[in-house]
Amino acid sequence: MSRPRVLWTLLIALVATLFSFGAAQSAQQQTLVIGGDWTDLITLDPGVAYEFSPVPILDNTYQRLVQFQGTDLSHVVPDAATSWDIASTADGGSTITFHLADATFSTGRPLTAADVVWSFDRVIQINGPSAFLFTDVAGMKVGSTKALDDHTVQLTLPKGVNPQIVLNMLTFNIGGIMDATEVQKHVDANDYGQKWLNDHSAGSGPYMLDRWDRGSQVVLVVNPHYPKPPAIKRIILRYMQESNAQRTALKSGEIDIAYNFTPDAFKEAESDPSLNAIKTDTFQMAYLGMNSGPNAPFADNRVRDAVRYAIDQDGIINDLLAGLGRKMQTIIPYGLMGADTNVYFPHDLEKAKQLMAEAGKSGGMSVEFLIATGACTGGVPCADLAAKIQSDLAKIGITANIKQTTSAQLYTIYRQQAAQLVLAAWSPDYPDPNGNASPLADYNAKSLAWRNDWNDATATKLATEAATSTDPATRKELYAQLTKYVAENGPFAMLYQPVYPIVTSAKVQGFARSAQGDVDYTAITKLP
Amino acid sequence: MLAFLLRRIGYLIFVVWGVGFAAFFISHVVPADPAAAALGSNARPAQIEAYREKYGLDLPVYQQYLRYMVNLFQGDLGNSLRTQRPILSDLRDFFPATFELTLGAMFFAALFGVPAGVIAALYQDRPIDLGVRSLALVGGATPVYWLAILALELFHSRLGWLPGPGELNPYLLEPHRVTGMLVVDAALAGEWQVFGSAVSHLVLPAAVLGAFSTALLARMVRSAMLEVLSQDYVRTARAKGLAGRVVVFKHAMRNAALPVLTVMGSLLGSLLTGAVLTETIFSWPGIGSYATSSAIGLDFPAVMGVTLVAGLVYSLINLLVDVLYGVFDPRITYA
Amino acid sequence: MTAPAFLRSKPARRFLRNPGTVIGTALSLALILVALLAPLLAGDPLLQHLSDRLQGPSAAHWFGTDQLGRDVWARVVWGSRISLRIGFVVVAVSLLAGGTVGLLAGMLGGAWDELLMRVTDIFLAFPALILAMAISAALGPSLGNVMIAVAAVSWPNYARLLRSQVLAVRTLDYVEASRALGAARFRQALLHVLPNTITPLLVQASFDIGSAILTAAGLGFIGFGAQPPTPEWGAMVSETRNFINEAPWASSAPAIAILVTVLAFNLLGDGLRDVLDPRGRTRR
Repeated sequence: MSRPRVLWTLLIALVATLFSFGAAQSAQQQTLVIGGDWTDLITLDPGVAYEFSPVPILDNTYQRLVQFQGTDLSHVVPDAATSWDIASTADGGSTITFHLADATFSTGRPLTAADVVWSFDRVIQINGPSAFLFTDVAGMKVGSTKALDDHTVQLTLPKGVNPQIVLNMLTFNIGGIMDATEVQKHVDANDYGQKWLNDHSAGSGPYMLDRWDRGSQVVLVVNPHYPKPPAIKRIILRYMQESNAQRTALKSGEIDIAYNFTPDAFKEAESDPSLNAIKTDTFQMAYLGMNSGPNAPFADNRVRDAVRYAIDQDGIINDLLAGLGRKMQTIIPYGLMGADTNVYFPHDLEKAKQLMAEAGKSGGMSVEFLIATGACTGGVPCADLAAKIQSDLAKIGITANIKQTTSAQLYTIYRQQAAQLVLAAWSPDYPDPNGNASPLADYNAKSLAWRNDWNDATATKLATEAATSTDPATRKELYAQLTKYVAENGPFAMLYQPVYPIVTSAKVQGFARSAQGDVDYTAITKLP
Repeated sequence: MLAFLLRRIGYLIFVVWGVGFAAFFISHVVPADPAAAALGSNARPAQIEAYREKYGLDLPVYQQYLRYMVNLFQGDLGNSLRTQRPILSDLRDFFPATFELTLGAMFFAALFGVPAGVIAALYQDRPIDLGVRSLALVGGATPVYWLAILALELFHSRLGWLPGPGELNPYLLEPHRVTGMLVVDAALAGEWQVFGSAVSHLVLPAAVLGAFSTALLARMVRSAMLEVLSQDYVRTARAKGLAGRVVVFKHAMRNAALPVLTVMGSLLGSLLTGAVLTETIFSWPGIGSYATSSAIGLDFPAVMGVTLVAGLVYSLINLLVDVLYGVFDPRITYA
Repeated sequence: MTAPAFLRSKPARRFLRNPGTVIGTALSLALILVALLAPLLAGDPLLQHLSDRLQGPSAAHWFGTDQLGRDVWARVVWGSRISLRIGFVVVAVSLLAGGTVGLLAGMLGGAWDELLMRVTDIFLAFPALILAMAISAALGPSLGNVMIAVAAVSWPNYARLLRSQVLAVRTLDYVEASRALGAARFRQALLHVLPNTITPLLVQASFDIGSAILTAAGLGFIGFGAQPPTPEWGAMVSETRNFINEAPWASSAPAIAILVTVLAFNLLGDGLRDVLDPRGRTRR
């Protein structure tokens, strides 16, 4: 080609893309592009992944035995198992027997009981970040899952494990069933196929993994063997860290769904007819952790109460979150059984100052206030939230010196019980009140109660009783007692339970996100 | 010449080793625990222990260093603590996008910076010279991230002239990966629609990233040109009545090329890391974004990998510039 | 009317002839004045009025308010103290560290020279922002660590500069002469080399104040800077960047402050070079 011709070709190509999107029109209607900050994507192996972003990807590529229907997390429904029976065993434990449906992996092989056993045992053998759900919470070992025949799987649970909690837990991607034959073909140096599963999928869900271009996009395409072909054939999760970038890309039609609008931008989107602003639930809670150990600054519960009275929760929720949050003061959030939505501490500076005086701190006190870089749960920058809390606490004589670190450093310090005052978030590992009660109330669980050095016999006893009880009414009653007790005595000042703001183009129909972060991509359609 | 090259290559190895050594020890004074970063907030103490053991994080620092060096000599940069993949695969995935962006920025800088400098020199102290100099001064002082935010807001959101963040219209399929640079791969595959989209996505971030270099280049070219123009032989040539243009291009440009080369070389080296801020705002899947997430996640093998490669690239470019110096300026001898 | 004698001196005339220099000097002095007089010029940079968040510029808030209802003018004014402190401290530390290394390399010569200069090369080859991020991530974000990080990447310039000056001066007769007289090597350095290198160092330093402020603000922007709610300019741009649509003033005011400050010191550097170092020995 002569030089002018090359130039002309370039020019024409440029003009073609800038002004005509027509060619891709029909493909566009079958393609869904989701913009979000997916930097927490580390692995797409369902047995290992334990971050927020992979949840919808894995739940749409791997079937679990049971699942939740849409956003209803109150009870599990069939997925790969059509039905299941729970029975008690002689030693006080229990078994769950699952009867499998006919399902086909994206590789073309049928899903059998042997695949379930292999997938579950694999999780325990790899012992990844999420494996404690199987080993600690469900008390499972290699061998706990048995194939009774090709279509029947039995799970044996030890004494003290509540099978209802295990069922809830199996909806999480850790319960994803993979094609054992296929994955075993791609094992590299005893890695159980972990490396291969980052760029391929071997599940029986409606979609399969096409490619993962790190830092750029994850692409899912339809599983050709899935019985009911969905309307959307291709799903692209595009990495877009900047909230403002997502907003402009959504307005210009480069993406269909944006995951990280700021609260203010969301408010604006609510009045834009070309957009749908959807408030979705989460179980996350932002809280202040106060070190309550013997010589710690918050050893005296009156000081902790003073903090709880001093925090201007309404100001945080209405102004910083632009209303995208719920006021919470207890450890069990909206949406879970046993949720306690009472307000035990109305904003009351006089009361707070009085409590400080009673605790002998009328002269004020100074603490180090540990916060993470980046955004806190609910999309508000931690720095802004901390600045607001700092100014609230200053009003009752507490000088909170903000120390912002990477979250890695924050958790290192926090885990050594070395944080004085910490701004953090909690999200239960499985949708059951015990996912919050045990770590936040039971010192022996070595989680949040422990990290804040709060060792309280009453709370430990209530949490343990509630976890092992199988009678829903009793559990509810126990949780009611526990939440009130921890709210008034615990080491936390709960701040809010965010509403997760998602904005879609008005063309997108049927989008719903559960509090667990799950999205059923097959329910989505796009108008032309 | 050969002795010079050998000595320089020796230096280069020493420098790259030193960069790696420094990076290793900086990342090991970390008071925080990389295992805590990798396993998240809910991790149990036992898991953290197991993880530390698996990656040798429980060994003394010098043993970890020895282990690292032994692997390095086998061409293994180790595994990322965060992505759990070999660092080399990560770098292969992230590096080309940055290289593409950097070349785009250099292209932009050369396209605007060189002519601006030449014109300013030819019309010294006239309004156009003052304009170029003022713009160059402002360009050299503007925070690149703010420029990026403004450019995106203006040219994408408000005017809609250029596409937004990212490398490609998401509805288009990426071409077969050869170099990893989308513009090149699309051209190689002959997919012109993809090519057009990739080029139009590149314009804004490249211009933003290149703004500082453009300003610096314009200043350098201007002063180099002025120096050359004031030299006797050029003045003589001009006085002899040779057409102004011929003089400029025959003599002056050739002599001004030297400082320009130096600047371009050092810019290319610094752009690779200067891209960090631009990449964040433009959601560009490059090495800058990777380095930032790695630093935040205390993923020190990854930070080391990026540092080593960046140090190597910088040193190689410097070497290349020094060698080219000899080509342009025969007075220089490689003693 | 005749101007005072010093204004008619040659350097002073060169200085005054260049409008950029005059502007740069005036701006730099004005910025230093703003930083010193911050308590008189603006109110509390931390005071929040959540009900007045993201307000446009008005008589009460000259630059509007930010996402917490804080006065942007107050934050920009108080922020000048932080940026200028970073600039001066970084340059002072780099000058001291780099100067010492350069001086030693030049004076000692031989293998020492070789070694010190290769170490300098290592730091030059280090990707600046990544080094700074690594230091910040390792030691925790704080103003002090930002200064360490920026100084770590800017000292090599001084090492090179000083070394080349030492080498140039060493060959001059009077140094040879004093060496012949048996003066201690380091006294030579102090007595003869230093006065001759003041000029290029001064020029380099004024450029580096600008670039140190720019780099530090970049670190602040990606969250490796000062602790919140410190009004650090880079962090302010970062915190308010998502409001570019509804409140452009909140991110633009600190960004323009950075621009003006860096510009001022660059102009000052240009001017100093024209006046003190007309042959342009300074690397830029």
